[in-house]
Amino acid sequence: MTAYLLNLAQLAAIFGLLAASLNVLVGYGGIFSVAHAVFFGFGAYAGAQIALNVAPDVLLVSAAGGLVAGVLSLALALPALRVRGEYFVVASLGLQMVATTAFTEAEPVTGGLGGLVGIPPPQLLGLSLASPWAFLAVCLAALFGGLAVMRLLMRGSFGRSLMALRDSESAAEAFGKNVALLKTLAVALGCAIAGVAGGLFALQMAFVNVESFTLDQSVLVLAMVIVGGAGTLAGPLVGTLLLLLLPAALSFLPGIPPTEIGAVQQAIYGLAMTLLMIFRPAGLAGRAQGKR
Amino acid sequence: MTPQAMTPPLAVRGLAKHFGGLAAVQGVDLDLPAGLITALVGPNGAGKTTLFNLITGALAPDAGDVLLDGARLGPTTPRQIARRGVARSFQDLRLFDHMSAGENVLAAIEPAAWFWQPGDAAARRAAAAAALADTGLTAAAGALAADLAYAERKFLSLARILATGARIWLLDEPASGLDPASRARFVALLRAAAGRGITVCLIEHNLDIVTELADRIVFLDQGRKLAEGAPEAILRDPALAAIYFGDRA
Ligand SMILES: Nc1ncnc2c1ncn2[C@@H]1O[C@H](COP(=O)(O)OP(=O)(O)OP(=O)(O)O)[C@@H](O)[C@H]1O
Ligand SMILES: [Mg+2]
Repeated sequence: MTAYLLNLAQLAAIFGLLAASLNVLVGYGGIFSVAHAVFFGFGAYAGAQIALNVAPDVLLVSAAGGLVAGVLSLALALPALRVRGEYFVVASLGLQMVATTAFTEAEPVTGGLGGLVGIPPPQLLGLSLASPWAFLAVCLAALFGGLAVMRLLMRGSFGRSLMALRDSESAAEAFGKNVALLKTLAVALGCAIAGVAGGLFALQMAFVNVESFTLDQSVLVLAMVIVGGAGTLAGPLVGTLLLLLLPAALSFLPGIPPTEIGAVQQAIYGLAMTLLMIFRPAGLAGRAQGKR
Repeated sequence: MTPQAMTPPLAVRGLAKHFGGLAAVQGVDLDLPAGLITALVGPNGAGKTTLFNLITGALAPDAGDVLLDGARLGPTTPRQIARRGVARSFQDLRLFDHMSAGENVLAAIEPAAWFWQPGDAAARRAAAAAALADTGLTAAAGALAADLAYAERKFLSLARILATGARIWLLDEPASGLDPASRARFVALLRAAAGRGITVCLIEHNLDIVTELADRIVFLDQGRKLAEGAPEAILRDPALAAIYFGDRA
């Protein structure tokens, strides 16, 4: 039981970081992406390759994950950022579909459908992190470190510029803001942090395959951000805890046949999200009376 | 006067813009003399906002030029125009609604896109605070722009411009719907700005405000400049009044 809870806590920290990184795009930049799992995946595959071929060092693995995801986000997201608003959602959907296929087909790099297996237990500068407590501490450090960086940037001029273009792109431009560069930086920052989360995820799972980086995952992370409260610091964390722990809690519900648990979960999820958006459109951590 | 002093900070020559078959702006020439308030008047759909959009690079003109200090600009973007000291407001305000009033003003004077701003952060905060004070928004600084009252929102859109230190202001119906007290404050604010040498062009439907405020009037109708001159002369012209009040023959 403790092992199960520790495992869950590690995942919650990793997904909290992932959701917070998407919040930079969605909540602060108003850039709606349904392809965030792609960058999580880039980070996870890059991290896994480093762990398998170089060393399973958390610093090395997460740095590689962040770098690869950040750089690829520039290459892939830049053309898409030229389109406006709702079209970006569609462009990111296309990216997600292409990437899922690529993850499946690029066997030499991703291991194809079977994935990359046998990732060795994590280390930190030669110290073993095989203990789940130690790795949990690392995940929490990454989560709160990432949140601190985002808090610093989002409360500063960068965050103000980003929110300004989210609220009115034309007004932001009229005050001299470089909208294209701001969006590019927001995407690179958010995707690089998603890559760090991906690297940690690879170490946590000890194997990675395409199933963790599909459209379903992207939508789940987006839901974490929106349910928790887009554009707030705490929102993505609240959303992650809810959407990650709810299924875990539901599996303890008595009286549901194991074969039906999946369907019941889906139904409860869907209902909860619909009600939440009706009664609290700014998310749980957002303002109580959502304007708009 | 030196030739330098006679060159208007902003001028347009032969500016034209079509939307499909509609000629929204047709061959407009306009000078905005330094330190004066020019009112752009004309019926709905006359092309006033479109003219602002052309000047600020929000729209690309079909023909014509924008001149800053007598120099032709060529194709430009809103960002470049802003960096040349031209600030504009929008008829529909376009505030940063989910940010506080204070953040709205601060964001307007932080043009760098990178993770930091060059220059003096304390000076920017002081400029923002001064702009809020001048527009009577100090107490509302912490409130979300979306939550402000109507007049406060109008003043916030002005505060953003005030803080930039721009030398040319293009204001699209900044006083529409203001109550008399707010209107008096607004007039005083603009007069003071012009007194500091700021060149102001405002679009305004209310002829009382125009009379009170404007040094010059430019009359636009169906995309053409029909007249310009001192307020008394323009407003006394029965032909223009007929067009303006819609009972053209
Ligand atoms: N982006 C656009 N696309 C198509 N038509 C436009 C566009 N912008 C303006 N128009 C049209 O051009 C004409 C001039 O519009 P403009 O907004 O400049 O008028 P205005 O003088 O500002 O009027 P108002 O006093 O109502 O604000 C109108 O007929 C308008 O419908
Ligand atoms: Mg208009």
